[in-house]
Amino acid sequence: MEQDLIKPPVELRYAEELSALKAADTGRRPENWKLSPKAVRTFILGGTVTLPDGQKRDISRKFYGNDALVERCIITLAGNRGLMLVGEPGTAKTMLSELLSAAICGRSTNTVQGTAGTTEDMIKYSWNYALLLSKGPCREALVPAPLLIGMEEGIFARFEEITRTPAEIQDSLISVMSDQILNIPELGDAGLVFARPGFNIIGTANTRDKGVNEMSGALKRRFNFETVSPVRDVKLEKEIILREANDLAKAGHIDCPIDRDVAELLAVTYHELREGQSAEGTKVEKPAAVMSTAEAVSVYFQTLCHAWYYGNGTMELPVLTENLLGAVCKENRDDLERLRSYFNTAVKQKSTREGGIWEAYFKTAAYLK
Amino acid sequence: MGSLFQDSSIPEIMPDPPEGVRFFPVRHHSPVCAYQLRNYVRGYQPELILIEGPENANDLIPVLTDEHTTLPAAIYYFYKDKKQYVSEEAEDYHCYYPFLYSSPEYAAMDEAKRLGIPARFIDLPYSEILIHTSESAGLRREQERHSYADDSHLVQSRFYQKICEKTGLRNFEEFWEKYFEIAGLRLTPEAFLRQMFTYCTLTRESIPPEQMEQDGTNAREQHMAYRIREAMQQYKRILVVTGGSHSGALARLVRTAVKPIRLHKFSEGQEGCYPIAYSYEAADALNGYASGMQHPGFYDKVTQALADAETSEGIYAACCLDLLTKTAKASAKKDIPVSISDITAAWSLAEGLAALRGSAEPGFAEVWDGVTGALIKGEKTVAAAVPLELLIQLGAGEGIGHIGDTKHVPPLIQDLIQTCAVLRLKADTAVPQETEISLFTGEKELAKSHFLHRMVFLGTGFCKRKKGPDLHAGKDRSRVREVWSYCRSPQVDAVLVERTTDGATIAEACRSIAAKRIRQERRCAIAAGVCVDCFLMGIALTGEDVTVMEEILAGDGDLFSLGKGLQYFDMLHELRQLYRAEDPSLLRYITQCFQALLIQLPSMAQCPAEQAQDCIRICRLLYGITGRLLTDRRAEFREALISLTERPDKEPSVFGAAMGLLYAMDAACLQQAEAAMQGYLMGSQEMRKQGALYLKGLFETARDIVLGESRFLEMTDALLSGMDHADLMEILPSMRLAFSYFTPSETQQIAEAVSALHGGKADQVLHEAALDELLCAFGAELDAEIFREMRANGGN
Repeated sequence: MEQDLIKPPVELRYAEELSALKAADTGRRPENWKLSPKAVRTFILGGTVTLPDGQKRDISRKFYGNDALVERCIITLAGNRGLMLVGEPGTAKTMLSELLSAAICGRSTNTVQGTAGTTEDMIKYSWNYALLLSKGPCREALVPAPLLIGMEEGIFARFEEITRTPAEIQDSLISVMSDQILNIPELGDAGLVFARPGFNIIGTANTRDKGVNEMSGALKRRFNFETVSPVRDVKLEKEIILREANDLAKAGHIDCPIDRDVAELLAVTYHELREGQSAEGTKVEKPAAVMSTAEAVSVYFQTLCHAWYYGNGTMELPVLTENLLGAVCKENRDDLERLRSYFNTAVKQKSTREGGIWEAYFKTAAYLK
Repeated sequence: MGSLFQDSSIPEIMPDPPEGVRFFPVRHHSPVCAYQLRNYVRGYQPELILIEGPENANDLIPVLTDEHTTLPAAIYYFYKDKKQYVSEEAEDYHCYYPFLYSSPEYAAMDEAKRLGIPARFIDLPYSEILIHTSESAGLRREQERHSYADDSHLVQSRFYQKICEKTGLRNFEEFWEKYFEIAGLRLTPEAFLRQMFTYCTLTRESIPPEQMEQDGTNAREQHMAYRIREAMQQYKRILVVTGGSHSGALARLVRTAVKPIRLHKFSEGQEGCYPIAYSYEAADALNGYASGMQHPGFYDKVTQALADAETSEGIYAACCLDLLTKTAKASAKKDIPVSISDITAAWSLAEGLAALRGSAEPGFAEVWDGVTGALIKGEKTVAAAVPLELLIQLGAGEGIGHIGDTKHVPPLIQDLIQTCAVLRLKADTAVPQETEISLFTGEKELAKSHFLHRMVFLGTGFCKRKKGPDLHAGKDRSRVREVWSYCRSPQVDAVLVERTTDGATIAEACRSIAAKRIRQERRCAIAAGVCVDCFLMGIALTGEDVTVMEEILAGDGDLFSLGKGLQYFDMLHELRQLYRAEDPSLLRYITQCFQALLIQLPSMAQCPAEQAQDCIRICRLLYGITGRLLTDRRAEFREALISLTERPDKEPSVFGAAMGLLYAMDAACLQQAEAAMQGYLMGSQEMRKQGALYLKGLFETARDIVLGESRFLEMTDALLSGMDHADLMEILPSMRLAFSYFTPSETQQIAEAVSALHGGKADQVLHEAALDELLCAFGAELDAEIFREMRANGGN
């Protein structure tokens, strides 16, 4: 089934690992959790588990960067506060939220996607109007939304991009998070829904949206905040690019060899443009565009697709540079100049010093137009 | 912990020391090491405790364990390498050996005192350690230079990096806290000892042997082993407490015959050691003390709680909760809203993390995570992370120790403590303080100012004047208050220790240093600067110092140095009553400087343009002095000025200033001043430009010449009217400066006179109507349009 989906949910994608962890899990579990906090940690950060039959099973690492942050997230979710993941776009906030939900609740799809048009009924519940008209307000006519589902089933409700939602809609979460009760007045006495153990909310917010719909102090108090930072280690970023691109290639039936050198070029380029400084100490101007690892993966995968469908299966640097151009120069015309200037300073320096692939990469600067 | 080392290929971890000697490896400032060491001593009942530490401080052990001594305290070692044993640079060296309540070395000394047995240091003296250390290694490394207690072998080895990777911990401190500080409390002393030996032996294995040679470890261990073997002749139960990386090696070394290291002999004052008060802030590894533990204040609290409690269980939890609560309170004081619910959430996060990480109780790392998750609202930015900053501050601790046995406290430090007590300055805290002094309201206030100036003069770094009169720069002399910030730190004590040879009190030390500086000087300006320091410090130079000063004044032939000196002396003489610092020598210095300057005054006429302003300043100073102090010498001064004006090739502004002063002394000189101006007016274009400089000098010393005599304005008008645009631009700065000497009302008066010359009104000269910005833009656009039209029609 997994192969029939563009992006299978985490619980499906890692079903085997999750079942191995469950089988090996001997730790204490908060009520309604599928796995113990230790097993959740292992699921996200990787490790080895011993199955009841004595066999060892490796669990892959899925989130790179700050291990302590993952631990804090897990413990927060076991408590009575929600978890709010904030950070730059492309820092794997959503992925972490999915991983946590899949490991703890076995379901990562109970999600509200925050937009300017999100309304309260998309979060709490709405009505099947045909049934409502024929039977009046009754449980049967109620269409539960993720918050109600989470409360009733004792699972997490994920709220993506919460700060894109109007503040008054965000605030509808306050009473639910405080009292763990949702009142459906239309149902009368039967309308009080009490949250089951295991219910919690994971929100994500993009720091680039800061100020669009600022969260109220009252809502902030009901969350523990975790700031997810971009990966700062070039080697690690390279490995993430390779792993993610490989997974995407597999999902897309692209049987093209992965080029490690190209991944390194891309990781270094993204890292240096994000930091505003090359490894040699040359100052470079940071583009206004988001220079996230997710974007780098996308550029790499596009280049891989090009090699598979149009080329001879080998990744070509001019194509990489063109894809890079498309990824960086999206909103701001000045970003083109910044990218050119990066090639003419940092890349040129590396091309002179190291030659090889850097020299070839520098020659593709002509495609930056 | 044991499972971490399962793959180790090292067969025997525990050393096998000879009968009667036991080794206890420790990490400096580690509460668990101190706790387990005390327990071990109680079980083993040694007859002698030997401790790693430079042995020339053995006499100070009773001082540190004195009941009136409060930690943090340190032994301050110094060595002056005059004989160049260390390097050709013949540098001075110093370092601290700090002790906190959590220091196992302190616990060892304290236990020895309790048992009534001797405790001794066994390491090489500080000087010898330096001599046996290669450049840029060990104690000669920049980052370890000032701290004896070096744990770098434990915390910088490749081994711990691997172990952090394996355990998924962020850094060494987190690893140490989890596996040693918290888990170690639940072990028996013997089991803890095995764990320490295991870790320390494995870290030592990862250190290259050449490094041991370079950083002096081999020589130190040879000496320590020799001392242990010496003690073995006399005692049957010896406990040796050393840094973890040495214990295993020493246990092996003492089994063999060890040659003694030849110790150098040094004269008195070349090396030494003193006990000094130390601060938590300085002991914090986060503040650059690379060898120590981070958060020493927190760990000292843990140690004290362990000492008071019957069981070690729950101690960390209690101390962590206390720290978290204090952080929340401190955050609230900074207007960061922290509710009880936030504290509860942070604590539950810390407890949950401890459970998840397999730690019996939360430690500092978990409190850190609790604060990060629950107390920081929104994105973790520098501004939002204030609660974490406060946590770090509280973890570091505040406060400064106290040496109880005053016999061993260097006299200058005693003086500091006593003076601070008298003047009500806080000398027992490392938190920066501020004090305000009303200089002229009483003797006590002035005494406080004198004391703080003395501390500045000694270069202690104890205090800094934020506001108040700056007599050196001649600024803000009218201020009657001084505002000082001050803070006592180990560095302050260290400087005072080094200054001990200069005097028995701070005042004496200042006086002798000032006298030395004056003796070393040949320039009047600098020597007079020292006199200003003495004036501010309330120290009078007497006897031989005055003679030396007079010799300097007599021998200095530099006009400008004498001028600066005279300026200082004149200022001090003027302020002497206000500052209650009568000094009869001042008038003599003034007379001497005056005399020397008078002789040189005519030669100022040909000074270079860049020194003209200084010359004018000196002329004005001499004029002022002959008006106030040396009135009987006014005629001599006038003669000297006339002589100056008669010199050829005069610098025009100096000439103008001299003419102005002559006019001020005798109005009859006006004609000469006018004639000189006429001379410039009638001269070539170049000479006319010099006329502007002449006017500048003239207006600086006698501006009423313009206000009283319309002739000068007319001449100035003629000078300016007769110049073309380029020349006018060239002299404009000088003219601007010349007219800046006038007050606003005088400027108004001049404006009226000038407008009368040209038949206008003063307001038109001074306040011409501002040009409308839009009109100006319109004009520019119009111009551009006209040019375009002209070009379009074939124009140029």
